Amino acid sequence: MNNGPLLFLGLFVTMACSWLSFVMGPQLQMGDMRPTTNIVVGASGQIYPHPEPGTAHQGAEVYRANGCAACHTQQVRPRDLGSDIDRGWGVRRSTAYDYLYDQPVMLGSQRVGPDLANVGKRMDTISILLHLYEPRTITTNSIMPPFPFLFEKRKIQGVPSADALRLPAPFTPTPGYEIVPRPAALSLAAYVASLHQDGYLFEAPPPLRAPGGTNTPASAPAPAAAPTNSPAK
Amino acid sequence: MSVTASPAQTAPRPSPQSVRTDIEVSCRLPLLGLFGSGVLWLLLGLLFALIATLKFHNPRFLSSEAYWTYGRMHAAHTTALLYGFGVQTALGVGLWLLCRLGRAPLAAPGVVLVGIALWNTAVTIGLIAILCGDSTGFESFEMPAYVSAMLFVSYLLIALCGVLTFHRRAEGNLYPSQWFVLGSFFWFPWIFSTTSMLLLCLPVRGVMQSSVAWWYAHNFSSIFLGFAGLASIFYFIPKLMNRPLHSYYLAAMAFWTLALFGSWGGIPGGAPLPSWIISLGVVGTVLTTVPLLAVAANLFHTVRHDLNALDNHLTLRFTYVALVFWLLAGVQQIVGVLPDVSALTDYTWFTVAHWELFHYGFFAFAMFGAIYYIVPRLLDWVNPPMWSPGLVKCHFWLTFVGILISYLALLVGGVGQGFLLANPKYSFAQVMMSTLMALRAGTPGDLFIIIGTIFFLLNFALLLLRWGFRYWVENSGGLRKERL
Repeated sequence: MNNGPLLFLGLFVTMACSWLSFVMGPQLQMGDMRPTTNIVVGASGQIYPHPEPGTAHQGAEVYRANGCAACHTQQVRPRDLGSDIDRGWGVRRSTAYDYLYDQPVMLGSQRVGPDLANVGKRMDTISILLHLYEPRTITTNSIMPPFPFLFEKRKIQGVPSADALRLPAPFTPTPGYEIVPRPAALSLAAYVASLHQDGYLFEAPPPLRAPGGTNTPASAPAPAAAPTNSPAK
Repeated sequence: MSVTASPAQTAPRPSPQSVRTDIEVSCRLPLLGLFGSGVLWLLLGLLFALIATLKFHNPRFLSSEAYWTYGRMHAAHTTALLYGFGVQTALGVGLWLLCRLGRAPLAAPGVVLVGIALWNTAVTIGLIAILCGDSTGFESFEMPAYVSAMLFVSYLLIALCGVLTFHRRAEGNLYPSQWFVLGSFFWFPWIFSTTSMLLLCLPVRGVMQSSVAWWYAHNFSSIFLGFAGLASIFYFIPKLMNRPLHSYYLAAMAFWTLALFGSWGGIPGGAPLPSWIISLGVVGTVLTTVPLLAVAANLFHTVRHDLNALDNHLTLRFTYVALVFWLLAGVQQIVGVLPDVSALTDYTWFTVAHWELFHYGFFAFAMFGAIYYIVPRLLDWVNPPMWSPGLVKCHFWLTFVGILISYLALLVGGVGQGFLLANPKYSFAQVMMSTLMALRAGTPGDLFIIIGTIFFLLNFALLLLRWGFRYWVENSGGLRKERL
């Protein structure tokens, strides 16, 4: 191997193998994916996924800017790989369809915090806001850092603001003051509340059998994650 | 295809002295710039990592300002480490190996200097952007679109000078290190331009983005940084042992199989992608057993005659440790993609442990070994100034022990986290609390690595001062003689 151009040619070919199989191939298969009507359970003719409202899009920018994906994944693995479904993080595995409207797609690679693929089904906007301001109001011993810079501590002038957080005992602000979410917090909460992956798709049908070989149908793992058959709200 | 012997045997040739002086003079400023700024970025990146780690001791630590959020610190840490330290030292060592093995002075050192200045400016802007919340959201590719063109151009300015140097080489035979250097020089612009195009300029739809981002991150580390580190290992181990490389053909096999299979992978097992892509990644990663065994057999056969020599030369010590860590990281990666294992270890600290071992254990050690050898010879080849041996020893042991502590803590924490997560009986909060202990135990390791890096920088500054003083005395002495 003493020929420079030949070495470059070899490198080009090996590199091209990798590029063709991990960039070109997937792009040919998934590049022009469109929302599908091929829903297994639920009314026929419905389309999945739906674009989310504008505030949720703004919230995704806050999610990206603060690197939330460093600790939170947004992908439910199939039942034979890990306990994601049994933990109630989703009723079916995540598929490529679930991310069609995401920009950027932030699947994450670390589970320092729980998976958020379906967090919108588990938490409402108010508890999400409380959790962002001080995670320990919702989960005692939470190791998530608080995000006080998304909120404003201000003096109550006249009538207290309707948006002000209703904080439980040890976290209440000094009397005469209130904690009001800034626009970034509101849109982030709207984004987190919008996170859900539903609609049983052809490639991710509802679980028929519980793992372990029993023939009993799988019961819903957690009440909060009860399967919704219709993708439309 | 003729067999090239070790670099040690390629010494006697017409006027090697003048070639060495040419290399010394042409490489001096560019390489000092690349190594000096690279290690400064490493220190900065480590400090960001420390801030991030301290949040596991107290989540409220530095939480009042958006700049110091965990997510931003994490992104800033990887960016400073990969782009500030990784790319620059890989380029520096690569340029030097191309000069040295090709017996040619560095082509257009002025252009390289411009490239270095541009690269550092771009990384600075990118890092500030990340701290201000302008990161792209893709792991290992966090710098925003407006610096990616600048990064690409400045990389090309530096790497093309390397290719030009290679083209002008006086030595026709190629040594394995040269393949590895050229491979890494060639890989980066391809993956970087593809990823910039498909993620930032004309974003692809949906999970295609994740597919591209995973492919990029995997290739950046395994191939770009991996080849640069291996080039240094393949050069310094035979050279400083004063023995020919055991087998040229085994090295060629390792190179091509690693280029082919090492570039597949990096996708977690349960990702929402068509399963053929995931399977292809698993197959590729498992097949990297071949280059792993080839490199191990080749280099262990080279060193086995004289294991004591490893202690005698500090470059050799760093390089050998880097080789062992590369093999360990490779084994961990192969074990980690096996479907039964990845169901447990994906998304846990297990993968972070691999990341630490590969980047700090293998790559940084290989680069430091090379820097300890190269820098004195840049200043004065005939009579190279000496490093302070005490500081070198401190640097080696602090970094070595630091990596072991933080790696083992993450590994144990990650495996434990994996087993607990697999069992839905344990709530997520319980799982987190149980891994917290391991995470906290790793913090002293991070501190040791930081202190070690500070010792290195101190030693670097002292070396430059010593050389500057000698240079000044010699030159002013000369002036005085002329006046007399």
